[in-house]
Amino acid sequence: MARNFEKISPWRWRVDRSTDRAMTADAEIFASQEILQQAQDDASIEQVVNVACLPGLVGNSLAMPDIHYGYGFCIGGVAAFAADDGLVLPGGVGYDINCGVRLLASSIPAGEFAAVAESVGYAILQRIPTGLTPRSNYRLNKKEFLRILSGGAREIVNNFSGRAADLVFIESGGCLPFDTPGVISPKAYERGGPQVGSLGSGNHFIEVQAVEEIYDPQAALVYGLEKGNIAIMIHTGSRGFGHQVASDYIETFRKKNLGRLRLKDPQLVHAAIRSPEGRNYLQALNAASNFAWANRQLLQEDIVAILERIFSQGREKLGLELVYDQAHNIAKFEKHLVAGNMASLLVHRKGATRAFPPGHADVAEKYRQVGQPVLIPGSMGSRSYVLRGTARGAELTFASSAHGAGRRLSRHQAVKFSAQTDVRECLKKNGVLVFSHSEQGLREEIPEAYKNIDDVVAVTEASGISEKVARLRPLLVIKG
Amino acid sequence: MGNYEIFATTADMGIRFKGRDFRGLYENALAGLNLLLFGSRRRKIHGHESAYFSYCGDGPENVLVNFLAEILSLAYQKKKQVVALAFVHADGCRLEARLQLAPCPFEPKVDIKSATYHNLRVQEHNGMKSAAVVFDV
Repeated sequence: MARNFEKISPWRWRVDRSTDRAMTADAEIFASQEILQQAQDDASIEQVVNVACLPGLVGNSLAMPDIHYGYGFCIGGVAAFAADDGLVLPGGVGYDINCGVRLLASSIPAGEFAAVAESVGYAILQRIPTGLTPRSNYRLNKKEFLRILSGGAREIVNNFSGRAADLVFIESGGCLPFDTPGVISPKAYERGGPQVGSLGSGNHFIEVQAVEEIYDPQAALVYGLEKGNIAIMIHTGSRGFGHQVASDYIETFRKKNLGRLRLKDPQLVHAAIRSPEGRNYLQALNAASNFAWANRQLLQEDIVAILERIFSQGREKLGLELVYDQAHNIAKFEKHLVAGNMASLLVHRKGATRAFPPGHADVAEKYRQVGQPVLIPGSMGSRSYVLRGTARGAELTFASSAHGAGRRLSRHQAVKFSAQTDVRECLKKNGVLVFSHSEQGLREEIPEAYKNIDDVVAVTEASGISEKVARLRPLLVIKG
Repeated sequence: MGNYEIFATTADMGIRFKGRDFRGLYENALAGLNLLLFGSRRRKIHGHESAYFSYCGDGPENVLVNFLAEILSLAYQKKKQVVALAFVHADGCRLEARLQLAPCPFEPKVDIKSATYHNLRVQEHNGMKSAAVVFDV
């Protein structure tokens, strides 16, 4: 369906609620003309409009500059509901609950790293389970697994490895409240238990990157990013556990609510936050979020141990410091200014990143002056970016930003496109070493399969929702 | 298409299938998913094990998603391929069948995490029922 867009700025477009009787709010898209056209072509605009038809939406249905087609709710979508009488949508979070990114800074010069890059790649691939249904290095009984689900990254720091000081650099301290094990299905326990501490497959990765460009020296200094040094980025989520939680609650919501909902897409099934099924989903969502934070914490510690061994130096000497860990598939209770009043909201971000501005009380004290780091990874072989939250973003997007590039080619097209290419060799020529157990997986994730991350970041900055701090160039990629 | 085929969306993959009745529809859904997971058309395999599947839902979409989720769970968690179905009962709201299982010939070719309801509608045209299920990959 062709929509009439009101151009608010070159980077901001609106479908007004008056143009469609079903809409209860406006749909607002942060995009360049080109990104907007792509979003119309792949029907993701309709998904933003569908969300704008839900009752009780606070503000507008929003889409970030990396908008692309998802299930029901577009990737890059943001929607907020009143915390007391609003809705919760599993489709507004996505299947991989708390899929997210963690970034570590270091004082290791990229040149020095190049000499050991291969050894580091082999060691990571050997140590960390990657790919399809890997078995964890951790044999956890149900009691231990439950402690991870309730403690998240804090449980790992307390009883496995890591530093308590890191927790303030994890969104929500790496732990959301969970104390009702009965809301998790036996299947979710079965799927999740053996996957703690694993990377997974698809677009999940571990990268060693070089800090290539600094745009905001003050913020980069505060974040500990120095040009020429390496940084380590981890992208993974809650593995099969989060997927099972999402599937289970989409079923539960269907059974309880579908009969009386008039939805354009059954993936937009929802429940009242205060309803028993809504409350149970939020508990299960927190458990899956904690799984993901624990997972990234374990992976970080595995990588730190490998670097310490290979460089024969401790983490302090290597300057290995957590910059930030953030979710990009989550729904959380937050306070935001709405029409001049502070309101408690449940903010859904699906393929979108929280980006709190300078001065926000929930930003770690060390970063409070410059704002929360916003991590936007590129595809395998392309640059990634660190940005920072802004006051403008807090005002326009419930403090949300983009989360990545988004696919351009299907997996099948990507495999076909790269059929005559030695992917590893091509990337090596561009200075990127790639390690993966799966040749097929590597071909599916070729850089050409993704949109240009530079375009997404340019719109993100031009629209004012986040500001660039640094650009990172991949040196070593470990793919699932 | 024949009775089943694979299709790709930008980010994910799915299967299209059809059947003269619900038995045919469920059988071809299984065949399509096996093609996606193991890359082969129907194989004549006689499984030595079996499992009982029973689901009562609110419509054929609901039954399909849960049936396919069970096949995925057997493939990834139990390393078993469902090679045949012996129906006890099959209609739009209920499926009961004995699933004949064989060890997975190899790791599934795709890491499918979930079967989704995305745009899923069982349609009927010229006496044929058809549907398309998108999987979260």
